[in-house]
Amino acid sequence: MLEARGLHAGYGAAPAIRDVSLDVGQGDLVVVVGPNGAGKTTLINAIAGLHRIESGRLVFSGTNISDLPPHRFCDQGIALVPEGRRLFTGMSVRENLELGAYGSAAKPHRAQAMQRVLALFPMLGAKLRALAGTLSGGQQQMLAIGRALMARPRLLLLDEPSLGLAPTIVIEMFRIIREVNQDGVAVLLVEQNVAMALQLARRAYVLEEGRIVAQGSPQELASQPDIQRAYLGH
Amino acid sequence: MPSAALLGQSLLAGIFAGALYGLLGLGLTLSWGMLRQINLAHFALVFLGGYLTYQLAAAGFDPLATLALIAPAFFILGVALHALLARFKVGILNTLLVTYGFTVMLESLLQWIWSADYRRMDSHYGAVKWKVGELFVSLPELITLAIACATALAMWAVLRYTDLGKALRAIAEDAPMAAAFGVNHKLLSLLLSGLCAALAAVAGTCLALTYTLAPSQMYAWIGVVFAVVMIGGLGNPLGPLVAGLAIGVSEALTMAITAPAWAPLVSFSLLIGALLVRPQRF
Amino acid sequence: MKPVAAFVLVGAALAVAPFLGLPAFYESFLYLVFSWVVLATSWNLLSGYAGYFSFGHAAFFGAGVYATAVLGGKLGWSLLATLPLAAGVPALLGVTLGAVIFRVRALRGELFAVLTLAVTFVVSTIVLNTPIDGGPGVMLSAVSIPKLAPSPSGTFYLMALILALISVYISYRVYHSRFGTGLFAIHDDEEVAEVMGVPTYRFKLGAFALSCALAGLAGGIHGVFVSYVTVAETFGHWLALYVILMAAIGGTRHWLGPALGAALVTTLLYAFTASEHALGGRAVVGLVLILVILFMPQGLLGRFSRRTPLPRNGLIPPDASMAVPGKEPILVIKGASKAFRGVQALGGVDLEVRRGEILGLVGPNGSGKSTLINVVSGHYPLDGGSIVFEGREIAGEAPHRIASGGIARTYQIPRPFAHLSVLENVALPPMFGRVAMDRGRAESEAWRWLEFTNLSEKAGRLPAELNLHERKFLELARALASRPKLLFLDEVLSGMTPSEMDEAIRLVRAIREQGATIVFVEHVMRAVMELTDRVVVLTNGRTIAEGVPREVMRNPQVIDAYLGAAHA
Repeated sequence: MLEARGLHAGYGAAPAIRDVSLDVGQGDLVVVVGPNGAGKTTLINAIAGLHRIESGRLVFSGTNISDLPPHRFCDQGIALVPEGRRLFTGMSVRENLELGAYGSAAKPHRAQAMQRVLALFPMLGAKLRALAGTLSGGQQQMLAIGRALMARPRLLLLDEPSLGLAPTIVIEMFRIIREVNQDGVAVLLVEQNVAMALQLARRAYVLEEGRIVAQGSPQELASQPDIQRAYLGH
Repeated sequence: MPSAALLGQSLLAGIFAGALYGLLGLGLTLSWGMLRQINLAHFALVFLGGYLTYQLAAAGFDPLATLALIAPAFFILGVALHALLARFKVGILNTLLVTYGFTVMLESLLQWIWSADYRRMDSHYGAVKWKVGELFVSLPELITLAIACATALAMWAVLRYTDLGKALRAIAEDAPMAAAFGVNHKLLSLLLSGLCAALAAVAGTCLALTYTLAPSQMYAWIGVVFAVVMIGGLGNPLGPLVAGLAIGVSEALTMAITAPAWAPLVSFSLLIGALLVRPQRF
Repeated sequence: MKPVAAFVLVGAALAVAPFLGLPAFYESFLYLVFSWVVLATSWNLLSGYAGYFSFGHAAFFGAGVYATAVLGGKLGWSLLATLPLAAGVPALLGVTLGAVIFRVRALRGELFAVLTLAVTFVVSTIVLNTPIDGGPGVMLSAVSIPKLAPSPSGTFYLMALILALISVYISYRVYHSRFGTGLFAIHDDEEVAEVMGVPTYRFKLGAFALSCALAGLAGGIHGVFVSYVTVAETFGHWLALYVILMAAIGGTRHWLGPALGAALVTTLLYAFTASEHALGGRAVVGLVLILVILFMPQGLLGRFSRRTPLPRNGLIPPDASMAVPGKEPILVIKGASKAFRGVQALGGVDLEVRRGEILGLVGPNGSGKSTLINVVSGHYPLDGGSIVFEGREIAGEAPHRIASGGIARTYQIPRPFAHLSVLENVALPPMFGRVAMDRGRAESEAWRWLEFTNLSEKAGRLPAELNLHERKFLELARALASRPKLLFLDEVLSGMTPSEMDEAIRLVRAIREQGATIVFVEHVMRAVMELTDRVVVLTNGRTIAEGVPREVMRNPQVIDAYLGAAHA
């Protein structure tokens, strides 16, 4: 469904990602791991349309989206849960969710989407009128995921969703991601928390210094020394 | 101590003045708060609108009806201005300078066409006055008050309750994320800028109804309207109106009780105070 | 030729004009040019150099006008006698305002501009309503002026000329001085300037006071020139905006820019007025401002604003050893805690740094490493706990004092001063650091560190022209140039290719050989393994392990923290 080939993106003379190719199939659950500074956020942002692709190709469901303007990505079926959540803190929880369904494809189904999201995240239902900025870290992360789900995406992108969260919340969140995936939404997840990410994934890529250095099933990768070396140095 | 009637009349004068401050400040607060552009030329546009109203009224049109022509034309000007500033990626401080350049150019244009003389628009509205108890109220002032309240409330309602309004608020906070959810922030920003210019046209017509026009006069409003916009909270459509009414009344009472010349001190002292005490608000 | 001589020569050449029978019209015109040169140049000292755009220059000009008006017009003093107060009153006003405004971090940029605009209105209202003016204006025709030239207009010409020369000379000297470098650094990145040792508060106040004093002097003279002053004319909005226009056209980052802009704009306006197109002239000026901001934001002289490095003198900088004698730990952190908007970035960190060691500080993303560096260097105040450096408590000290105490740091994302050359960037810390050198010695110190980091060839370039790894090395050179006793390196290696990393590792070793103590925050594990003597692991704002690298990284708690728990 998603095909990235030879992506180059970055900051001027120093590209953050070089020659990155990956695939996400329909209903797939793919994880990209890598140490800090490897380029994970640039990669996800490029796929979400937030970051300009300098060279390479990005194809989604047969459509070449490499040159699409940022506001069209949502209608294609791609939704992003960015690093640091990036909620609209001055707006209420309900408004943040409604904004998720702003795109023309999602708007007609807003009411149903809202029901679905509130069923997944019941604690948000109690806080619909609260300002997004007043929520705790875990609640904000849930809201960010809920907002993305309001767009009824076929591909959900998540950038380091476990950052700054307590372990119990992380477990709950990953359970929800698995449930969403089982509903048919493909997931591409970028994570630092390698162990949990590998438990979740069907396939994984390892990104180091802007390049894919390994890929395969979680079992294959966990046994390889690549990941341990990349993170721990030995 | 002045008489009750004088105080009452001053109060009314303050309310009407404040309403006009609010109306003038509406376009400014929206473009500053939501588009990060400080549009000094807003004042020149207001006066241009006022002069056009004056001219068309002299040709026989109803002053309020002239808006049907002027507002759309100004909308286009607003769009063009934003397109220019966006194309050159002008930073917020520089928008102040660029729009100052436009202000100077517009002022020269106004003076060239209409000369530096004071112009007072004659309209059938102006002749209508009522006496309420001891106090006098004129129709143009009431119209201005009504329009100021209506536009402020309308903008507030749009921002609060409509999808478009939420999209605008989202853009103001985090434009790329808004785009990630389908909001075409470039287009919406252009439209908002056009709307602010159209609001300037409305303010100009009200100005022509109630005040005498002269090109140099536009600078007299800058200070107090900036104060009103900032105290009212950038981007808040009701802010300039509420702050404007408060300041208008304070000024009027100051004028009645002490001397007219001290009135400007009110708005500026409040502004300086607000900036020093809670600058993070801005 | 020495600059003073050049100025005196130019001045002398221009000064003969009144004695050569120049028509009074030209004397008056040139008087205006010189007067605007003073106003634009004085404005530029704070607003162009340091970046604090003031929209209130008219307030200080007006204060000078009215100081002379009251003393001369109402109390009968001669013009010359009033001048010290024409300078002093505005300067005092400026310093008082600055003392309050510059303390508030948020009042920069457009807020400072609006605030200064408001100040003008307040000052003019006060002047209008008090006996200072009172309304009718003040007559100054009876004020006695010195007889410097055959005619009064000639005298004004000479007075304005002298003031203009003084202003431009001051602008020139500041531009090339340590003070000026500090102001430009403030313009580019005030926080970093403060952390590198620039006393930002004092410098801003100084520039402001100078700016106001010169404007006031211009005002005092101008009042007598026009011989009748009113509030409306004196505090007119156009003055504040014209000076900005003039400086912007000429180039705000150049010492001669405002003067050039003033001459051009005044001449342009006069030409239009003379040919009966005054209105058109103003419109053209407005158009020029727009075009300049859009297409040439650095102004006409902007491209010439690189200060040429002094020729590389033979000065041999003193011995580069950074070793600090003593046995006790150089830095002791106890219970450091810091929260941002409810998120606890540091939750009671205990840490010790021993002299001469390379200490590795590692931990997953968001563990608090950068926050720790930021609190030690003074970027953020601590919520609780203590930081003792060389026996002295530094928590709560101003960043520039911490810097001059001997702590330096690099930034994870390089923050060079964008408009200073590579050499000037590196020369800044020695100028303001604990050794406080003058510009010449600071530059030769800078050359040494540029050689050390292989950047000598790029000394004259701007940071934007360097690639990422060179910019990281620039950060390093800049941090080293202050000869710190304790150096914090914040993810210096991220984004580098393996060979660049090898070079960086070699450099860090060489730095250690000079005796420096280094705290090395890094994610690239092989570098941590190779370089560090000890490692401290930070997670969720707390230290969870400490010791020799190989052992620490095999500690199961540490492995958990990095790779994540498989189960709760």
